[in-house]
Amino acid sequence: MDYSQLDKVRRSAVPLQLDAVEAFVAGRLSRREFIQRASIVGLSMASIGAVIAACGGTSTSPGASGAKTGGTIRCAVQRPVSVDPVAMEDLGGYGITAQSFEFLCAQNTSEPSGLSPGLALEWTPNADGTVWTFKLRQNAKWMHDGSAFTSADVVATMERLVKAGNSGLKGVLPAGGAVATDANTVTFTLSGGNGNFPYLVSVYNAQTLITPKDYVAGTKFNDRPTGTGAWKLKSYNQASNAVFERNPDWWGGKTPLDGTEWIFFDATGPMITAYQGGQVDAIVQFDVLTGSSLLTDPNFTLIAQPAALHRQIWMRCDTGQFAKKEVRQALAYTFDRPALVQQLFKGRAQVGNDHVIWQNYPYYDSSVPQRTQDIAKAKSLLAAAGVPNLTATLYAGQLQEIPDLCALLKSQAAPAGITLNVSTESLSTFYGAQWCPKAPADPPCSGAKELGIVDYGHRATPDVYLNAALKSKGIWNSSQYNSPAFDAAFTAFQASVGVDAQKAACKNIETILNEDVPVGLPYFYNYLAGNSNKFTGVFSSALGQMSFATTSKV
Amino acid sequence: MARFISRRLLLSLLTLWLLATLVFIIANVLPNDVGRTILGPFAPQESVDALNERLGTNRPILVRYVDSLLGLVTLNFGKSFVSDQPVLPQLLDAMVRSAKLAGLALFITIPLAITAGVYAARRRDRPVDRGIVLLGVTMSSIPEFVTATALVVVVGVQLQLLPVLATPPPDADIPTQIRYLLMPATAMAIVYFGYIARMTRAGTIEVLQSDYTRTAMMKGLTPNQTMRRHVLRNALIPTVAVIAVQIGYLFGGIIAVERIFNYDGMGRTMLFAAQQKDIPMLTAGVILIGIVYMMATLVADMTIAWMNPRIRLDAER
Repeated sequence: MDYSQLDKVRRSAVPLQLDAVEAFVAGRLSRREFIQRASIVGLSMASIGAVIAACGGTSTSPGASGAKTGGTIRCAVQRPVSVDPVAMEDLGGYGITAQSFEFLCAQNTSEPSGLSPGLALEWTPNADGTVWTFKLRQNAKWMHDGSAFTSADVVATMERLVKAGNSGLKGVLPAGGAVATDANTVTFTLSGGNGNFPYLVSVYNAQTLITPKDYVAGTKFNDRPTGTGAWKLKSYNQASNAVFERNPDWWGGKTPLDGTEWIFFDATGPMITAYQGGQVDAIVQFDVLTGSSLLTDPNFTLIAQPAALHRQIWMRCDTGQFAKKEVRQALAYTFDRPALVQQLFKGRAQVGNDHVIWQNYPYYDSSVPQRTQDIAKAKSLLAAAGVPNLTATLYAGQLQEIPDLCALLKSQAAPAGITLNVSTESLSTFYGAQWCPKAPADPPCSGAKELGIVDYGHRATPDVYLNAALKSKGIWNSSQYNSPAFDAAFTAFQASVGVDAQKAACKNIETILNEDVPVGLPYFYNYLAGNSNKFTGVFSSALGQMSFATTSKV
Repeated sequence: MARFISRRLLLSLLTLWLLATLVFIIANVLPNDVGRTILGPFAPQESVDALNERLGTNRPILVRYVDSLLGLVTLNFGKSFVSDQPVLPQLLDAMVRSAKLAGLALFITIPLAITAGVYAARRRDRPVDRGIVLLGVTMSSIPEFVTATALVVVVGVQLQLLPVLATPPPDADIPTQIRYLLMPATAMAIVYFGYIARMTRAGTIEVLQSDYTRTAMMKGLTPNQTMRRHVLRNALIPTVAVIAVQIGYLFGGIIAVERIFNYDGMGRTMLFAAQQKDIPMLTAGVILIGIVYMMATLVADMTIAWMNPRIRLDAER
């Protein structure tokens, strides 16, 4: 242990940063968790490296030294439905807009769940995490008129997002909460303490791209192709592709590649054959079942990121056959989770434990016992609930592996005396008719079916899952779960800012959800992307934002 | 002939109105929330309501119906719910792309299939006839997406002879465009070859057995002269009708083929519009495809009437 180096960091750290450092020194955080946690609370990469080195580790950072210049990369992506930065909801829109617009906090390329400076150079919280101060980059320019990027742009962007009801910022950042202290400093005063706030203004909250101060919500990216980022939009065809060229004024310097082309697809199969036929060089996302040939392709660089992507098997807690906790637990005991992971993802997923706290969150607590398949227990629980033979319809949307998941759940539940009739339909119909019907409107989703499967994307913190899907009267609470104990635990989690406090709060949440089972959660699956070996320096988030700023031809 | 054409045009207009009404009913009876579909399942309800208000999807159904008919008359189909751009230029672009693909497929299919059909008919019940019939039945019973997938895997991925994606670069010359379209066009041609060849064969056999063909032969005309002057003109009437229907079908876009080759023609455009509940795009697309069908069948009827005046006279009576 090199105490002189460590103490140097300790002296300059604010309390929350110190908390992360001490947790790592004491062995309560792994190296990965430390990088992740320290980057959230604003410890600089130099300080993170110093702490790791002081504790006997090594820190690495990717570089693009000696990169060849010139050329274009062609990237396959799902066709975007919307490219309105404020309202977009799909991976296609996320990936394309993030080529020109940037976030305050970028993805940490050496530790994908961590953060690194984007348009903000550094950020520091106060002692209780209620006020966060962001120092902004001074050499960033808007590409449409060359004007300087300033704190006024950040404040205006945040106001637009708060007004639009951004799911990550809702309940965290009030209107008027972002204030420009000077031209290059923004202070965020939050509704309450929040130790994860930088995540909410990062690549992990895809709509928080910083747009110019006079940008109007509802404006589509192609109608006003501006930004501060590495790539400038050259052409956009909503049906076929988006072409970008290098932004010569980018603060990050000259990109090795001359340009990028994003080719739009409506299905994963043609993306795979287009790659194999040599017509695309990178794929933004694919699923294991369709793209299995890529997993063993020696010419393909696989970007496989463990992610919080998951499916929730909701069960109505207020009415119907699943109202009794024992019945919900019984169904959860029929899941053969390792078999699901193997059969649906060829092992590229992590087993879930019927709660939304993903194993890679720094505050995940592993002490809650893992639920495993136990048919005898399921039968006894059903008998105790007075329903030895249960018949129910399992509703789901036709998305990726979900229809196969339904079939497997049906066969796994049968030995316990549970008959599941599967009903799958198009996603748009499913969301509106089964998951969260518009009526009755109060409480939200009270028209949901008693059993169904809904998909959730990756989130760097579980706040959205907890707040929207599980908190009483949450806007996506299709199970109609209403637990004062859980609500209190969630409030405690939001207010906790230190590592130990967050872990303790999460343990409570995990225990309650595992016991009550408002949703069954059999797995968290990996985000899969990748590129041809002819290119190097490609990075991807688990939300479709593929970065080519440091990409070059080999 | 003028009376024949004007009568057909009038019928076409009536059909168009029926089509527009049917499309409107289907699009508005299906349970959906357009705002929710566009903004996604996670958007706040207030935003969804505001979008529905802006798009006018919450207006009374009669007002929307009258609007849609006015749009048909003025060819102003409104803006796409998804891209917020006028739908007509987008659809015309897609239609042109589908026309190129369909044109190439028909260019490959028609001469080959007619030649094979006539050749088989002239050698009825011989091995070559059996072979052509068997080949035709086999080819037309394999769906386009199977043929297309096989072509992609073998020709595109394994041999890398032709591009897997059918969309050529923006400034591509005609030979390059043909190179990009050759694989999907071949996939479609394989299916239609069998169909058209069998129709031609059946029509030719029927005419070859007719009295006037026998008379022509007995007059001393050579088999080739008889074929050219008497048989083909009559034998191809059912084939022309079939081709006309196929033109409408092909111009409407073959969804499976366009998806496999990621080609942005009418099929893919319409499928995306349906998935996104983009009602203006969907409505205008169906109507455009309907117009193409009507034009194709009108041209086919006129051709058939020209080939066989009795049909024209019957229609005029």
